Amino acid sequence: MIEVEHLTKRYRRATAVDDLSFSVPRGRITGFLGPNGAGKTTTLRVLLGLVLPTNGRATVAGHRYRELHAPLRTVGAVLEASNYHPARTGRNHLRVLASAAGIASARVDHVLAQVELSDAANRRLGGYSLGMRQRLSVAAALLGEPELLVLDEPANGLDPEGIRWLRNFLRSFAEGGGTVFVSSHVLAEVSQLADEAVIIHRGKLVAQQTVSELTLQAAGATRVRSPRAEELLARLREAGIEGDATESGVLAVHAPPERIGDLAAEAGIPLHELVADTGSLEEAFLELTAEPQA
Amino acid sequence: MNAFRAELLKATTTRLLLWFGLGLLAFLVLVLSIHIGSHDPGSLREPSTQRSTFAFAGIASIVAVLIGSLLVTAEYAHGTINQSFLAVPVRGRLLAAKLAAGIVVVFVLAALADLATLVLSELWYRGRGASLHLGSYTLAPFLGAVGASILAGGIGVGLGALIRRQTGTIVVILLWLLIGEGVISAAGDSARFAPGHVLGAVVAAHRISNAGDMLAVWPAVVVGLVYVAIFCGLGFLAVAGSDVPSRGD
Repeated sequence: MIEVEHLTKRYRRATAVDDLSFSVPRGRITGFLGPNGAGKTTTLRVLLGLVLPTNGRATVAGHRYRELHAPLRTVGAVLEASNYHPARTGRNHLRVLASAAGIASARVDHVLAQVELSDAANRRLGGYSLGMRQRLSVAAALLGEPELLVLDEPANGLDPEGIRWLRNFLRSFAEGGGTVFVSSHVLAEVSQLADEAVIIHRGKLVAQQTVSELTLQAAGATRVRSPRAEELLARLREAGIEGDATESGVLAVHAPPERIGDLAAEAGIPLHELVADTGSLEEAFLELTAEPQA
Repeated sequence: MNAFRAELLKATTTRLLLWFGLGLLAFLVLVLSIHIGSHDPGSLREPSTQRSTFAFAGIASIVAVLIGSLLVTAEYAHGTINQSFLAVPVRGRLLAAKLAAGIVVVFVLAALADLATLVLSELWYRGRGASLHLGSYTLAPFLGAVGASILAGGIGVGLGALIRRQTGTIVVILLWLLIGEGVISAAGDSARFAPGHVLGAVVAAHRISNAGDMLAVWPAVVVGLVYVAIFCGLGFLAVAGSDVPSRGD
């Protein structure tokens, strides 16, 4: 759905994005992770045609954003919540966008209801809370009934209720067959939401994997306790699996519990304990974006 | 056409036009009161005096250049330019829509300024015991005010696209009108081609150049169109070749 190929963006001497390549599959939720200043916003803005790349390209469904026949019907974007004219009402803000994109004005009230802002539709945006403005951004993104949602740090400044609303909303959008590409540095959010994660650091790709692969990668060893631990360790090593005896009868094995359990069963070795030391996306993220020690 | 409709909607869904309209009306009340009040009744009956009175409607062109610039710079100031370019990603198309909408808006504004000038002049003339004589000679500045406002609106859109910073653009416009035009007057005959002088010549609507520092109306219109083309051309190039600003990382 999204292809980023050898994308580079330089601002005078600073390089925000450096030969970045990745793809976002259709019909899934993909998190776009990186520390502040990693180049996430720049990448998204290049994708949306707001920033001109120095090299490379970013496309949606095979086309640059500006080449899309009906951009708002293909991509819904949620950028900064501060991009509003304070004197314009919420409804008029959406009417302007709908008019520019040739979308029927009836959609305006529909999306306002969808984001639960119907009651505030005729209030000026200067009086909206941050959470309300964020919902209005989502409403604007939904105007064209797009198949792809691109969100840049959508949870920024939202209260817990707003975050829960957003999470549920994005889940239901994805369940309906939509594709979501969401940037964030709030890892807990992404780990609860995303199927895949693209991690960048200093403008470069660090990893692109499923969230479960990443957490597995960050996981510690699986703890195995058996009365025949030494025999099990030998069998595991024969199968090419690394492990160590940590205490009497206890092994720390670098493999998923399912694999260890299967091997033990084949060998008829009883297990008294088989526990995965689950890692977190946060651990994977910190590991992948760690600065090298001087 | 969608982008044009959206630009008109943008212009009419904030208080921008209301405040500019009220400001223009207040200014017209002030200058017409001073102008008509300072002439004796005999002088007021002169067609040339009436023509110069009606030429005050040309103040609309100053408001027009500000409105034209704000149609672009207000979007950058509030960040709404991001959503505008998401909806209309071909930048030249969006700016062309702004130019077209700006022309419509300042046309209406100038027509209202004409009407206000006519009504206020009629009230003052009656109060001074004189009457207006409406004819092609005295009414020509009303058409000139509309033409000058359209040209000024176009220049404003181009200048706004070129500078893109709201305060900076307004400061440049005001400095030029208050100081730049005065300084350039010292340059002699070539001052006729300065933007303010050109707009003034369109408002004055003289068929032939009657003074050394002012063009006749049609040459002034042509020079005004050249200014619109230059400012809009440079503005479009500047916008097309630059990143849309963001407050993110």
